[in-house]
Amino acid sequence: MKDKSPYIGVIVLTIVMMLLIGTIAMQPGKQRLLLATTTSTQDSGLLDHILPNFESKFNCIVDVIAVGSGQAIQLGKNGDADVLLVHSPASEKQFVKDGYSTSRTLVCYNQFIIIGPSADPAGITQAANATDAFMRIYQNGTDRKAVFVSRGDASGTDTKEKTIWIKAKLNVVTFSNTWYLSTGQGMGAVLDITEQQIDKGYTLSDQATYYTRKATGIIPHLEILNQGDPFLYNQYSVIPVNPAKWPNVNATLAMDFVNWITSPDIQSMIADYTVGGQKLFIPNAGPGSIAENHLMVSHHRAAVAIRID
Amino acid sequence: MVDGVTYDVVQVTLLSLYVSGSATILGSLIGIPLGAAIGLKEFGGKGLLKTITYTMYGFPPVISGLFIYYVFSRAGPLGDFGILFTPTAMILAQTLLVIPLVAGITITSVTEVDRNIKNTVRSLGANDRQATFTVIKEAWVGVITAVMIGFGRAIAEVGAAYMVGGNIDGKTRVLTTAIMLETRMGHFEYAVGLGVVLLIVACGVFLFMRWLQERELL
Repeated sequence: MKDKSPYIGVIVLTIVMMLLIGTIAMQPGKQRLLLATTTSTQDSGLLDHILPNFESKFNCIVDVIAVGSGQAIQLGKNGDADVLLVHSPASEKQFVKDGYSTSRTLVCYNQFIIIGPSADPAGITQAANATDAFMRIYQNGTDRKAVFVSRGDASGTDTKEKTIWIKAKLNVVTFSNTWYLSTGQGMGAVLDITEQQIDKGYTLSDQATYYTRKATGIIPHLEILNQGDPFLYNQYSVIPVNPAKWPNVNATLAMDFVNWITSPDIQSMIADYTVGGQKLFIPNAGPGSIAENHLMVSHHRAAVAIRID
Repeated sequence: MVDGVTYDVVQVTLLSLYVSGSATILGSLIGIPLGAAIGLKEFGGKGLLKTITYTMYGFPPVISGLFIYYVFSRAGPLGDFGILFTPTAMILAQTLLVIPLVAGITITSVTEVDRNIKNTVRSLGANDRQATFTVIKEAWVGVITAVMIGFGRAIAEVGAAYMVGGNIDGKTRVLTTAIMLETRMGHFEYAVGLGVVLLIVACGVFLFMRWLQERELL
């Protein structure tokens, strides 16, 4: 039985807690901009590369929440973010149409690429385009010779993947989970899972995540097997949340962000950003800023990417 | 950037302690009296309430996070407080996880003690209030165990912290959400390293509590 009141201990703990609060560096006073974006822009390091410029120029702090495009757009609809930087054009256009934003501005683009094992059992290096490649994967999948790993999370990449299946006139709902793995995970995890499907695993990836992960050496058996189809174009756009719908958003700073990220200086910063020697994002904001045609040389084929909207 | 940890790990660790520690204290201030009341009083539905409390040991952290998100989202009822994506929201979500754990273990502790002590103390002339107070003091070791376990639950969870915190660098990034980030980026060694840091922190907290116990301050 304790003689002393146990509450002394509680008081000590509470004081320690209060002291901890004091030591945590909270930056008071600065304006904050809440940016909801996708994992590909954050994990590739692009935001770490360009955001300090914005933060010092406008003397503010950018709070970055990196989730899938689907979730980022939902945050925008709920007024929980000030501005979005995502890559899901169909959902973005609907977002603007529904009045959640007054503008959608192109920022940069890259390509989706079809990743697979060097052995390439489905022979997609010979495929004429993305639709043909997916058809071959489907045929080999049902023959147990290939496995497709899907994001399955309504992200920009997932949405693109689903549209390719539709173009190939295939119904995803009928796909057996013996060869079509719907993971509900981020791109990095999906690449890891694809790597583990020894000599069989295929997936659709964005360039930024693929090259970044390749540079860490944890997906040694995966290669880019098919790219360049204009349908695989991957457009990133910046979308400020409409203050008429959500008065609490930092609308001025959000518009500053839109203007800043599309300005020539920052567009070149984006162009210059490389990982492992590879450019990850090609700026294309506004007229006259970027090359309409772009020649890319890959491991397996030369491809031409054409700007479409 | 892509090579590894670019954020301040010390700050992340302190934030973990702050968020989970606050949640534990808040959850215990609610859970201990709640557990004592349920354990010591006789009332209709006591059995049901106990079952619900024990069931909530398995309450998924991510659901707690989702609940707090719905309540404090701008689109939700308490959105105007603007606490989403701040440490405060994380504390609230973790508190919801701590309360049932602390309450449940307190119920068990006081019930155990109650059987033996209450009759003895009563026969020595104690009234109802004194008897209850004595039971709680006797159950104190069990209660402190409840608090420790509550802290363990809070500091180890990631679902709630990620959902209502957003893993914002410099603001709501804690050890568990940082581990998720490092894993997502493929930096598995860093992820494991952060896990080790978390265990060291938890160990430190428990050692500190043991130290207080030995000095009879707790």
